[in-house]
Amino acid sequence: MIDVDYIRPQTLPEALAFLSENAMDTTILAGGTDVMVDLRTGELNCRYLLDVGRLPELRQIEINEGELFIGAGITITEIGQSEIIGRYAPALQTAADKFAGRQVRNIATIGGNVAHCSPCGDTIPPLLIHDAGAMVVNHEGQRIVPIEEMAGGPYHCTLRPNELITHFLLKPKPEAVGFADFQKIGRRKELAIARMSMAAMIGQESDRSISFIRFALGSCTPTPHRFRDIENYLFGKIPAERLLWEAGHILSEVMLEITGRRPSAIYKEPAIQGLFVRMMYPLIL
Amino acid sequence: MKKNSYHLRFTLNGEAKSLDIEPGISTLELIRDVLELKGTKEGCGIGECGACTIVVDGRAVNACLMFAAQLDGRDVLTVEGLSREEDLHPIQQSFSEQHAVQCGFCTPGILMSTHALLEENPQPNRHEIIKAVAGNLCRCTGYQSIIAGIENAADKCRNDKNKD
Repeated sequence: MIDVDYIRPQTLPEALAFLSENAMDTTILAGGTDVMVDLRTGELNCRYLLDVGRLPELRQIEINEGELFIGAGITITEIGQSEIIGRYAPALQTAADKFAGRQVRNIATIGGNVAHCSPCGDTIPPLLIHDAGAMVVNHEGQRIVPIEEMAGGPYHCTLRPNELITHFLLKPKPEAVGFADFQKIGRRKELAIARMSMAAMIGQESDRSISFIRFALGSCTPTPHRFRDIENYLFGKIPAERLLWEAGHILSEVMLEITGRRPSAIYKEPAIQGLFVRMMYPLIL
Repeated sequence: MKKNSYHLRFTLNGEAKSLDIEPGISTLELIRDVLELKGTKEGCGIGECGACTIVVDGRAVNACLMFAAQLDGRDVLTVEGLSREEDLHPIQQSFSEQHAVQCGFCTPGILMSTHALLEENPQPNRHEIIKAVAGNLCRCTGYQSIIAGIENAADKCRNDKNKD
């Protein structure tokens, strides 16, 4: 039996006022798919569950002044079904489609996925390629936290306990981008937690040389990151099979520099290269 | 020891419910232990197996991953509410005809995933069916008979609707 109190504020100011008083004893809940598991295993202990999943401020998807807003309480299913996201952040939509199983997608939220700070959070690499930031509020004000700075390490969120993510701000896919994708490898095709994941967005000139590139890797390093070495290596070049294998090799080298050569390297090194080439292959067809 | 309490109001299988619950219990605990509806099963308890699948506001969810308090104001359907009459629901009938049931432990969850799928998409193709029940694990029949059951159920449900 979990001994907690459940509180569902009706408005954002009400939620922030509650947090300003009780932040240290409170766990913020949106879908609850991670919170429930962590409470039951004893990894999480708290006095209050603050359910913010229905706050209207957290439930918007819109394009505003050239930025894509996605509310933190938007579910993974809603991301998968949103026409706006399909158009302006297609790799995020692809990730939503591959996220867990349908029952989890129906309640899990993007805000929870990001704030949980799992190295394997499927929405994080796609957010990184859109230079996304999280709008974070508390009772005193608001600030934007770049997604890359959200996690201080696996499952370690750098936000203050009294802070809440209301929405994410993404740079929409540029017109020139003709290729966007998210791919992952898990123990099985559906449902499994990603062993490695990657997202990319690429634009090419008429001579097919790469004029715009964003690439991010998840699950392989303690926190997901953009890999600027890969972006710089491919920028300006015309994609060819050999080039992609070489870039995949560089990627695995950079990844191993970050993680050190752990026992899983013998699998991860070729797998990451293979997944990279598989994802990028449409560029050379 | 102080016991916390939350007053929950929701609709269960078409019936309005209003009761005080312990705020930390899961939806699965509410359904099985408090309301004593034993059709919904607990498998893994961590949202992987889908045995506890129920339908909330038209969408399939894992009852083990939701706090009962999150149901407040929602419309909930469990396997007990699938058929209001003595007869089997067309989905249940199709599963029986296609031998999509062996030990039966995963069956209530798969029936509910199927119900949510067919409400949203009455004519799913095979790929859509597989995707819709990917979060439901079955360790005995194998999935072919289950997929056949769902394909058959889609036909039955459409025919029933056309008759109405």
